[in-house]
Amino acid sequence: MKPLIHAEFRRLLATRMWLATLFVAALLGGGLIGLLAIVGPENFQPPMPGLHTEAGVRAVLGFLGFTAFIPAAIGTLAVTSEYRYRTVNFTFLFAPNRWRVLAAKLITYGLAGMVYGLVLSGTSALALFGAAAARGVNLGLPAGTIVELLARLAVAMVAYTVLGVGIGALIRHQVAALCVVIGYLYGGELLLLTIPGVRSLYPWLPGGATAALTDFTAVADALAQQLSSDPVRLVSPLAGALILFGYTVLASTVALLKPMRRDVV
Amino acid sequence: MSGIEVRNLTKRYGPVTAVDDLSFTVRPGAITAFLGPNGAGKTTTMRMMIDHVAPTSGSVTIGGRRYRDILRPTTVVGAVFDAASFHPFHSARDHLGIYAAMGGYPSGRVDELLELLGLAEAAGRRTGGFSTGMRQRLNLATALLGDPRVLLLDEPSNGLDPEGMAWLRSFLRDLADAGRTILISSHVLSEVQQVADDVVVIREGRLLAAGSLRDLSSTSQAVLVRTPDATELGQILAPAAYLVEANGPQELRVRGLDPSRIADLAAARGLRIHGLTAEHPSLEQLFLDLTGERTRP
Ligand SMILES: Nc1ncnc2c1ncn2[C@@H]1O[C@H](COP(=O)(O)OP(=O)(O)OP(=O)(O)O)[C@@H](O)[C@H]1O
Ligand SMILES: [Mg+2]
Repeated sequence: MKPLIHAEFRRLLATRMWLATLFVAALLGGGLIGLLAIVGPENFQPPMPGLHTEAGVRAVLGFLGFTAFIPAAIGTLAVTSEYRYRTVNFTFLFAPNRWRVLAAKLITYGLAGMVYGLVLSGTSALALFGAAAARGVNLGLPAGTIVELLARLAVAMVAYTVLGVGIGALIRHQVAALCVVIGYLYGGELLLLTIPGVRSLYPWLPGGATAALTDFTAVADALAQQLSSDPVRLVSPLAGALILFGYTVLASTVALLKPMRRDVV
Repeated sequence: MSGIEVRNLTKRYGPVTAVDDLSFTVRPGAITAFLGPNGAGKTTTMRMMIDHVAPTSGSVTIGGRRYRDILRPTTVVGAVFDAASFHPFHSARDHLGIYAAMGGYPSGRVDELLELLGLAEAAGRRTGGFSTGMRQRLNLATALLGDPRVLLLDEPSNGLDPEGMAWLRSFLRDLADAGRTILISSHVLSEVQQVADDVVVIREGRLLAAGSLRDLSSTSQAVLVRTPDATELGQILAPAAYLVEANGPQELRVRGLDPSRIADLAAARGLRIHGLTAEHPSLEQLFLDLTGERTRP
């Protein structure tokens, strides 16, 4: 197992993509959160409570949940690029027990997702505290709580990276898999919210579970308001974490089992 | 011993039978050419040898084991695939480094192979910009990382220039002389003719011929018969010969009968013969004879 993980890390670090991805994480954390915090949620369209309230801080940090498609896409690419460039020929020659290759990818990309999450959360914390200090606002949540929320977001990023690996193993075709991952996480899931019957499923979907984990209800509430319907009730943070964990277990199982029986041609 | 044993191997893709009850062996210490026209099932068979493709029925073993049961499999088998299998943004050194890590080989092995295959100067360049010849060399380098005893090459000559081909031939010859098992597939016969010891010929997934190249060549030797009585002579020879075909209005090509027998049969019927010439076929001709539809006049 160790040689396979070693090889996956070499593969990951061989191009500059890892650097670009961490740069994006810093840009989203430092840049997006910094920008939102400086503008202030009270000036959003529609307006939200300001940073001096608990809801305002949660609203700003909650936006990070919508960037989960990036680590998910990275995880997807880890598998689909092997098929796209046919390196899978050599990979399965060197490791005919294919599940071990996928296990190595899950471990490697789980760790990579963690690094991504830490960079995202770390730069977000710097930007949020920095912007609050610059504007002279007292944040509506204690610093310890904010750090905990950001840590939960980092955990969610790990889960999404692993989820991406599973979807890559399932779909294999690079463009198709990326369309599914990005399309679903970026827009598809929110579209589901607008369908009355399906709406009640939202808390059980990855996005709803992430919102629960990070205590971010702004989107669900806003949509409910716009559609003048009852707000969607999210599960508890712990339950959200468990649901998300359930999805990663499912994705990992798919990733380990799916390539076993398929021909490589 | 690290021979390859293919036993009653069958692979069906829906209605298409790519490989049909195929059995043959490949011995160590020799170069075996695996021949067949396009779509004969060569690639499918070779991929079943390394567990890339699961057989519908039958089995393949290498040194008595299925590929997936071999411990450290790349020390036993190396494979050169029919298409480039590299990430275009990785350099040759990155690519070999990744697979050296995967096989547990020291990084010094990477430099050795870059040197051996003449890729040292291009080692830092992205493989996306490699020429066909360089890709083939990198394919071969990856296959050789574990210094395997068995080497499978699927159409390795594709895109190689004559110099590259000559180099590959002598390279494979050295490996075979050192006792390794070499299986090389091709549909361009003139290339393997100079290097193969044994041949396995398939068509439509079925075995047509297998054995040493020399034996196969002699059994398929033909005699050209010049005669003004071509039609009558053809009818007399056909039941006794393996194959009789017209080769122009006054000439027959006959297989499976030696010249004296042909002359005797003709004399018994009072038919005229103006010339008898033994024809040494090229492997190309042998291949066409084997794989083409057999015709009798
Ligand atoms: N994945 C697949 N799905 C369906 N049919 C396939 C598949 N792979 C191969 N075939 C079919 O099986 C047959 C054998 O193909 P194969 O690629 O093994 O032949 P080949 O001898 O390698 O040919 P070539 O000289 O063109 O490389 C062909 O009819 C091909 O169309
Ligand atoms: Mg082929």
